[in-house]
Amino acid sequence: MKIAVSADGPDLNAKVGFRFGSSKYFIIVDQDTMDFEAVANPGASTYQASGVQAVVLVISKKVDTVLTGHCSPTAIGHLTVNGIQVLAGVDGTVAEVVERFKKGELQRQPGVESTPETSANKIDKAALVHALRNSANQFIRLLPVLTGVVLLIGLFNSFMSKELLSSVFSGNISTDTLFGACLGSIFAGNPINSYIIAGELLAYGISLFAVTALIISWVTVGLIQLPAEITALGRRFALVRNTVSFALSLVIAIFTVAVINIIGG
Amino acid sequence: MSKSTIRMIYFPVLMIAVYGIIFAFMPDRAFLAFKSSGIIFSNIIIPLGLVFILMIALNLFLKPAYIASFLGKEAGIKGIMLSMTAGIISTGPIYAWYPMLKELKEKGAGSSSIAVFLNSRAVKPFLLPIMISYFGCLYVAILTVFTITGALVAGYLVGALVEKKKL
Repeated sequence: MKIAVSADGPDLNAKVGFRFGSSKYFIIVDQDTMDFEAVANPGASTYQASGVQAVVLVISKKVDTVLTGHCSPTAIGHLTVNGIQVLAGVDGTVAEVVERFKKGELQRQPGVESTPETSANKIDKAALVHALRNSANQFIRLLPVLTGVVLLIGLFNSFMSKELLSSVFSGNISTDTLFGACLGSIFAGNPINSYIIAGELLAYGISLFAVTALIISWVTVGLIQLPAEITALGRRFALVRNTVSFALSLVIAIFTVAVINIIGG
Repeated sequence: MSKSTIRMIYFPVLMIAVYGIIFAFMPDRAFLAFKSSGIIFSNIIIPLGLVFILMIALNLFLKPAYIASFLGKEAGIKGIMLSMTAGIISTGPIYAWYPMLKELKEKGAGSSSIAVFLNSRAVKPFLLPIMISYFGCLYVAILTVFTITGALVAGYLVGALVEKKKL
């Protein structure tokens, strides 16, 4: 049985980290042998979604129980629906709390949260409420920019003439596809916006090659996120991946439209 | 108001301000633009409803945290297929995934797996209703096949070019 303990240091003598999401380390202990592995918490240094990073880490380590000082209800929800027991409110060194857990003392301690769930009742009412809340949050976050894009397209439709658009998209398939891929590479954000923009461009008679290249490069190439990708995954990886993805967006556009033309006769 | 909220609403607020300015000088054009936006909204309202239902289904059955456990666990073809599946079902902004991808890379996940994950994100199951409403089923089906194929090719090329080795 594996236990994950949030900790301030990388060994069994470290103090239990007070906050699950922002603790510096997780000590993964084998309850039977007391063998342990210290894993740095990637969420400790980030301001956004630190709880999610910690949850991801703990689940990927296939632990059975989490011992921590404090754990947010959201993180507890994620962990318990994945069959992980969460015991919060514990204090002391990692070795001490694991020993107390083995003796069964932690469950009896006042204020300790214990909400194990089995896989049989994973999809229960709480999970549905959680899914609804998550979906509503995602949807609400999507709407403002979507509204802005639709209003922008309204202006575009009101002011843009076909002649003006033709000066940008000349009708030459090669340059139009290239230009579509460039536009998609510059813009970022939820791909739903790219579908709406692409759909409107298509209605203006812009070629499907250009529109397809825009849709693909919108997600796969990210000039705006490039500094963040370089920081996270390295300069060589980020530059190679974005260059390859840009070229592939052109290839995918050509193949997609060619197949549609063949099928459509 | 939090920074993320400001970042989220500044664009629509800017658009409303632009509409206000245009309305002051060219009310006819502003009305035309507003009407055009209304038509677009009315076209996407039903697909948007379906998007919301699909979002609930994905959030109910696929835990974001669980997706991460797919990545970097297996080598070879199986690992690449798991990365592709993880990319397709992953949601949320890409920057939220970078710290985790960095961690996985440091733990030994290959460049190919990470590239496949990032490029597979172009397939968005919960946005299919919107895409189909604009482009039709045939286009979406063919594009999806080529997008997945493209993600695998990207994984191969990135792995070969970054790590100087074959998959």
